[in-house]
Amino acid sequence: MKNLVVTLLLALLVVLTAVSVRRTVAGNATTVGSPTLMAIGTEPVPLPPPPKPSK
Amino acid sequence: MDNSIASYVLQYAGSSLEAGLLLYLGWGRQCKKQRAVFFGLFALLIAGAGRDYTAYQFGLRSPQYFYVYWSTDYLLVISAFLLVWLFFRRACLCEEKMWRYIRLSLGFIFFLVVGISVLSISRNQDHLFTYFTIEFNQNLYFTCLVLNTLLYLLLQQIESTDDQLGLLVCGVGIQFAGPTATLALLHLTSGQHFAESLATSVMRLCTLGMLLVWAYAIVRVRESTIKVTGRRIGEPALLEVTAD
Repeated sequence: MKNLVVTLLLALLVVLTAVSVRRTVAGNATTVGSPTLMAIGTEPVPLPPPPKPSK
Repeated sequence: MDNSIASYVLQYAGSSLEAGLLLYLGWGRQCKKQRAVFFGLFALLIAGAGRDYTAYQFGLRSPQYFYVYWSTDYLLVISAFLLVWLFFRRACLCEEKMWRYIRLSLGFIFFLVVGISVLSISRNQDHLFTYFTIEFNQNLYFTCLVLNTLLYLLLQQIESTDDQLGLLVCGVGIQFAGPTATLALLHLTSGQHFAESLATSVMRLCTLGMLLVWAYAIVRVRESTIKVTGRRIGEPALLEVTAD
Protein backbone atom coordinates (compact mmCIF):
# COMPACT_ATOMS: atom_id res chain seq x y z
CA MET A 1 0.00 0.00 0.00
CA LYS A 2 2.82 2.38 0.95
CA ASN A 3 4.63 1.61 -2.31
CA LEU A 4 1.46 2.27 -4.28
CA VAL A 5 1.11 5.70 -2.70
CA VAL A 6 4.78 6.46 -3.39
CA THR A 7 4.47 5.50 -7.07
CA LEU A 8 1.28 7.57 -7.37
CA LEU A 9 3.04 10.57 -5.82
CA LEU A 10 5.99 10.08 -8.15
CA ALA A 11 3.64 9.97 -11.14
CA LEU A 12 1.88 13.12 -9.94
CA LEU A 13 5.23 14.88 -9.52
CA VAL A 14 6.29 13.96 -13.07
CA VAL A 15 3.01 15.15 -14.60
CA LEU A 16 2.97 18.39 -12.61
CA THR A 17 6.59 19.06 -13.62
CA ALA A 18 5.70 18.46 -17.27
CA VAL A 19 2.68 20.76 -17.13
CA SER A 20 4.70 23.45 -15.32
CA VAL A 21 7.50 23.29 -17.91
CA ARG A 22 4.88 23.53 -20.65
CA ARG A 23 3.18 26.54 -19.08
CA THR A 24 6.55 28.23 -18.53
CA VAL A 25 8.04 27.85 -22.00
CA ALA A 26 4.95 27.56 -24.20
CA GLY A 27 2.56 29.78 -22.25
CA ASN A 28 -1.16 29.28 -22.74
CA ALA A 29 -1.26 28.38 -26.42
CA THR A 30 -4.88 28.41 -27.47
CA THR A 31 -4.68 28.00 -31.23
CA VAL A 32 -3.46 25.03 -33.27
CA GLY A 33 -0.70 26.18 -35.61
CA SER A 34 0.77 28.59 -33.09
CA PRO A 35 4.60 28.53 -33.15
CA THR A 36 4.58 27.53 -29.47
CA LEU A 37 3.10 24.10 -30.25
CA MET A 38 5.38 21.08 -30.37
CA ALA A 39 5.22 18.40 -33.05
CA ILE A 40 7.26 15.37 -34.07
CA GLY A 41 8.47 14.69 -37.61
CA THR A 42 10.45 16.25 -40.45
CA GLU A 43 7.38 17.30 -42.45
CA PRO A 44 6.50 21.02 -42.63
CA VAL A 45 4.19 22.27 -39.89
CA PRO A 46 0.84 23.31 -41.45
CA LEU A 47 -0.60 26.77 -41.16
CA PRO A 48 -3.92 27.03 -39.32
CA PRO A 49 -6.95 26.89 -41.67
CA PRO A 50 -8.61 30.25 -42.40
CA PRO A 51 -11.38 31.17 -39.97
CA LYS A 52 -14.95 30.45 -41.05
CA PRO A 53 -16.82 33.55 -42.27
CA SER A 54 -19.26 34.82 -39.69
CA LYS A 55 -22.94 34.54 -40.60
CA MET B 1 12.86 29.45 -52.85
CA ASP B 2 15.81 28.64 -50.59
CA ASN B 3 13.43 27.96 -47.74
CA SER B 4 11.38 25.53 -49.79
CA ILE B 5 14.50 23.69 -50.98
CA ALA B 6 15.76 23.40 -47.40
CA SER B 7 12.30 22.20 -46.37
CA TYR B 8 12.30 19.46 -49.03
CA VAL B 9 15.85 18.43 -48.11
CA LEU B 10 14.85 18.10 -44.45
CA GLN B 11 11.70 16.18 -45.32
CA TYR B 12 13.33 13.70 -47.69
CA ALA B 13 16.45 13.28 -45.55
CA GLY B 14 14.20 12.31 -42.64
CA SER B 15 12.11 9.86 -44.66
CA SER B 16 15.22 8.28 -46.25
CA LEU B 17 16.90 7.85 -42.87
CA GLU B 18 13.79 6.25 -41.38
CA ALA B 19 13.41 3.83 -44.30
CA GLY B 20 17.15 3.07 -44.37
CA LEU B 21 17.31 2.31 -40.66
CA LEU B 22 14.21 0.13 -40.83
CA LEU B 23 15.75 -1.81 -43.72
CA TYR B 24 19.04 -2.13 -41.82
CA LEU B 25 17.26 -3.50 -38.77
CA GLY B 26 15.12 -5.85 -40.86
CA TRP B 27 18.05 -7.00 -42.99
CA GLY B 28 20.28 -7.69 -39.99
CA ARG B 29 17.40 -9.39 -38.15
CA GLN B 30 17.76 -6.99 -35.26
CA CYS B 31 14.04 -6.24 -35.05
CA LYS B 32 13.62 -8.25 -31.85
CA LYS B 33 16.70 -6.81 -30.16
CA GLN B 34 15.88 -3.27 -31.19
CA ARG B 35 12.12 -3.50 -30.96
CA ALA B 36 11.81 -0.06 -29.30
CA VAL B 37 13.75 1.66 -32.08
CA PHE B 38 11.97 -0.41 -34.75
CA PHE B 39 8.61 0.60 -33.31
CA GLY B 40 9.59 4.30 -33.15
CA LEU B 41 10.92 4.33 -36.71
CA PHE B 42 7.88 2.48 -38.02
CA ALA B 43 5.52 5.02 -36.40
CA LEU B 44 7.55 7.92 -37.85
CA LEU B 45 7.58 6.37 -41.33
CA ILE B 46 3.84 5.63 -41.38
CA ALA B 47 2.94 9.09 -40.07
CA GLY B 48 5.35 10.70 -42.56
CA ALA B 49 3.88 8.72 -45.47
CA GLY B 50 0.35 9.82 -44.51
CA ARG B 51 1.42 13.46 -44.25
CA ASP B 52 3.37 13.38 -47.53
CA TYR B 53 0.46 11.81 -49.38
CA THR B 54 -2.00 14.40 -48.04
CA ALA B 55 0.38 17.27 -48.83
CA TYR B 56 0.84 15.90 -52.37
CA GLN B 57 -2.91 15.44 -52.92
CA PHE B 58 -4.31 18.58 -51.31
CA GLY B 59 -1.37 20.94 -50.78
CA LEU B 60 0.46 22.19 -47.72
CA ARG B 61 -2.06 24.96 -47.03
CA SER B 62 -5.14 22.76 -47.22
CA PRO B 63 -7.31 21.99 -44.18
CA GLN B 64 -6.92 18.27 -45.00
CA TYR B 65 -3.16 18.47 -44.46
CA PHE B 66 -3.73 20.45 -41.30
CA TYR B 67 -6.00 17.78 -39.79
CA VAL B 68 -3.90 14.84 -40.97
CA TYR B 69 -0.74 16.46 -39.60
CA TRP B 70 -2.12 17.00 -36.11
CA SER B 71 -3.92 13.64 -36.02
CA THR B 72 -0.73 11.79 -36.92
CA ASP B 73 1.14 13.90 -34.38
CA TYR B 74 -1.25 12.59 -31.76
CA LEU B 75 -0.24 9.02 -32.74
CA LEU B 76 3.46 9.97 -32.78
CA VAL B 77 3.34 11.40 -29.27
CA ILE B 78 1.70 8.21 -27.96
CA SER B 79 4.40 6.22 -29.81
CA ALA B 80 7.07 8.38 -28.15
CA PHE B 81 5.58 7.59 -24.75
CA LEU B 82 5.64 3.85 -25.54
CA LEU B 83 9.21 4.22 -26.82
CA VAL B 84 10.32 5.79 -23.53
CA TRP B 85 8.45 2.96 -21.73
CA LEU B 86 10.40 0.34 -23.74
CA PHE B 87 13.69 2.14 -23.01
CA PHE B 88 12.87 2.06 -19.30
CA ARG B 89 12.24 -1.70 -19.64
CA ARG B 90 15.61 -2.18 -21.34
CA ALA B 91 17.40 -0.10 -18.69
CA CYS B 92 15.82 -2.16 -15.89
CA LEU B 93 16.50 -5.63 -17.39
CA CYS B 94 18.49 -6.62 -14.29
CA GLU B 95 16.43 -4.59 -11.85
CA GLU B 96 13.13 -6.44 -11.76
CA LYS B 97 12.00 -4.91 -8.47
CA MET B 98 12.69 -1.39 -9.72
CA TRP B 99 10.92 -2.15 -13.00
CA ARG B 100 7.72 -3.13 -11.15
CA TYR B 101 7.56 0.34 -9.54
CA ILE B 102 8.50 2.15 -12.74
CA ARG B 103 5.87 0.24 -14.73
CA LEU B 104 3.22 1.18 -12.22
CA SER B 105 4.35 4.82 -12.21
CA LEU B 106 4.30 4.98 -16.02
CA GLY B 107 0.74 3.66 -16.03
CA PHE B 108 -0.33 6.26 -13.46
CA ILE B 109 1.44 9.00 -15.43
CA PHE B 110 -0.45 8.15 -18.62
CA PHE B 111 -3.82 8.16 -16.86
CA LEU B 112 -3.00 11.42 -15.06
CA VAL B 113 -2.14 13.09 -18.39
CA VAL B 114 -5.41 11.81 -19.88
CA GLY B 115 -7.30 13.04 -16.79
CA ILE B 116 -5.77 16.53 -16.85
CA SER B 117 -6.40 16.84 -20.60
CA VAL B 118 -10.03 15.66 -20.31
CA LEU B 119 -10.63 18.20 -17.52
CA SER B 120 -9.39 20.96 -19.79
CA ILE B 121 -11.34 19.68 -22.81
CA SER B 122 -14.59 19.49 -20.85
CA ARG B 123 -14.45 23.28 -20.45
CA ASN B 124 -14.08 23.83 -24.21
CA GLN B 125 -16.43 21.38 -25.89
CA ASP B 126 -17.09 23.68 -28.87
CA HIS B 127 -13.59 23.18 -30.27
CA LEU B 128 -13.04 19.55 -29.37
CA PHE B 129 -10.39 18.73 -31.98
CA THR B 130 -8.39 21.89 -31.31
CA TYR B 131 -8.35 21.52 -27.57
CA PHE B 132 -7.80 17.79 -27.65
CA THR B 133 -4.79 18.30 -29.93
CA ILE B 134 -3.40 21.10 -27.82
CA GLU B 135 -3.98 19.68 -24.39
CA PHE B 136 -3.33 15.98 -24.77
CA ASN B 137 -0.51 16.17 -27.34
CA GLN B 138 1.34 18.95 -25.58
CA ASN B 139 0.93 17.53 -22.09
CA LEU B 140 2.15 14.10 -23.21
CA TYR B 141 5.00 15.67 -25.18
CA PHE B 142 6.34 17.49 -22.12
CA THR B 143 5.75 14.41 -19.96
CA CYS B 144 7.96 12.43 -22.36
CA LEU B 145 10.59 15.17 -22.00
CA VAL B 146 10.59 14.82 -18.20
CA LEU B 147 10.52 11.00 -18.36
CA ASN B 148 13.41 10.89 -20.81
CA THR B 149 15.46 13.13 -18.53
CA LEU B 150 14.66 10.84 -15.59
CA LEU B 151 15.64 7.82 -17.69
CA TYR B 152 19.00 9.41 -18.48
CA LEU B 153 19.57 10.10 -14.77
CA LEU B 154 18.56 6.51 -13.96
CA LEU B 155 21.14 5.18 -16.46
CA GLN B 156 23.82 7.23 -14.69
CA GLN B 157 22.61 6.13 -11.27
CA ILE B 158 22.67 2.40 -12.02
CA GLU B 159 25.94 2.85 -13.96
CA SER B 160 24.53 1.14 -17.01
CA THR B 161 27.04 -0.50 -19.32
CA ASP B 162 24.64 -0.36 -22.26
CA ASP B 163 26.29 2.44 -24.28
CA GLN B 164 23.88 1.94 -27.14
CA LEU B 165 20.88 2.60 -24.89
CA GLY B 166 22.60 5.73 -23.57
CA LEU B 167 22.97 7.08 -27.11
CA LEU B 168 19.41 6.15 -28.05
CA VAL B 169 18.13 8.03 -24.99
CA CYS B 170 20.30 11.03 -25.94
CA GLY B 171 18.71 10.93 -29.41
CA VAL B 172 15.23 11.10 -27.89
CA GLY B 173 16.53 13.90 -25.66
CA ILE B 174 17.44 15.93 -28.77
CA GLN B 175 13.91 15.44 -30.11
CA PHE B 176 12.28 16.73 -26.93
CA ALA B 177 14.77 19.15 -25.38
CA GLY B 178 15.80 21.02 -28.56
CA PRO B 179 12.35 22.46 -29.37
CA THR B 180 11.73 23.16 -25.67
CA ALA B 181 14.93 25.22 -25.49
CA THR B 182 13.84 27.12 -28.61
CA LEU B 183 10.45 27.80 -27.05
CA ALA B 184 12.21 29.15 -23.98
CA LEU B 185 14.16 31.48 -26.32
CA LEU B 186 10.88 32.50 -27.96
CA HIS B 187 9.47 33.25 -24.53
CA LEU B 188 12.52 35.32 -23.56
CA THR B 189 12.52 37.32 -26.79
CA SER B 190 8.75 38.00 -26.44
CA GLY B 191 7.87 36.24 -29.71
CA GLN B 192 10.22 38.03 -32.10
CA HIS B 193 9.83 37.00 -35.74
CA PHE B 194 13.26 35.34 -36.05
CA ALA B 195 12.57 33.24 -32.94
CA GLU B 196 9.18 32.14 -34.33
CA SER B 197 10.69 30.97 -37.62
CA LEU B 198 13.52 29.30 -35.69
CA ALA B 199 11.02 27.41 -33.52
CA THR B 200 9.31 25.70 -36.48
CA SER B 201 12.63 24.81 -38.17
CA VAL B 202 14.22 23.51 -34.99
CA MET B 203 11.42 20.99 -34.41
CA ARG B 204 12.14 19.36 -37.77
CA LEU B 205 15.91 19.62 -37.36
CA CYS B 206 15.69 17.94 -33.96
CA THR B 207 13.78 14.97 -35.41
CA LEU B 208 16.54 14.65 -38.02
CA GLY B 209 19.15 14.95 -35.26
CA MET B 210 17.48 12.15 -33.32
CA LEU B 211 17.48 9.92 -36.41
CA LEU B 212 21.18 10.61 -37.04
CA VAL B 213 22.10 9.77 -33.44
CA TRP B 214 20.02 6.58 -33.65
CA ALA B 215 21.74 5.64 -36.92
CA TYR B 216 25.13 6.05 -35.28
CA ALA B 217 24.03 4.10 -32.20
CA ILE B 218 22.61 1.20 -34.20
CA VAL B 219 25.31 0.91 -36.85
CA ARG B 220 28.45 1.80 -34.91
CA VAL B 221 27.83 1.04 -31.24
CA ARG B 222 27.40 -2.56 -30.25
CA GLU B 223 24.72 -3.48 -27.78
CA SER B 224 26.00 -4.76 -24.44
CA THR B 225 24.31 -7.91 -23.26
CA ILE B 226 24.27 -8.94 -19.67
CA LYS B 227 24.54 -12.62 -18.95
CA VAL B 228 23.99 -14.15 -15.56
CA THR B 229 26.61 -16.85 -15.12
CA GLY B 230 27.65 -19.36 -12.49
CA ARG B 231 24.86 -18.63 -10.09
CA ARG B 232 24.12 -20.91 -7.16
CA ILE B 233 21.07 -20.83 -4.95
CA GLY B 234 21.47 -18.25 -2.20
CA GLU B 235 24.40 -16.51 -3.86
CA PRO B 236 24.19 -13.14 -5.59
CA ALA B 237 24.20 -13.25 -9.37
CA LEU B 238 27.58 -12.86 -11.08
CA LEU B 239 27.16 -10.52 -13.95
CA GLU B 240 29.25 -10.77 -17.05
CA VAL B 241 29.05 -7.95 -19.54
CA THR B 242 29.90 -8.80 -23.10
CA ALA B 243 29.45 -7.17 -26.46
CA ASP B 244 27.69 -8.98 -29.32
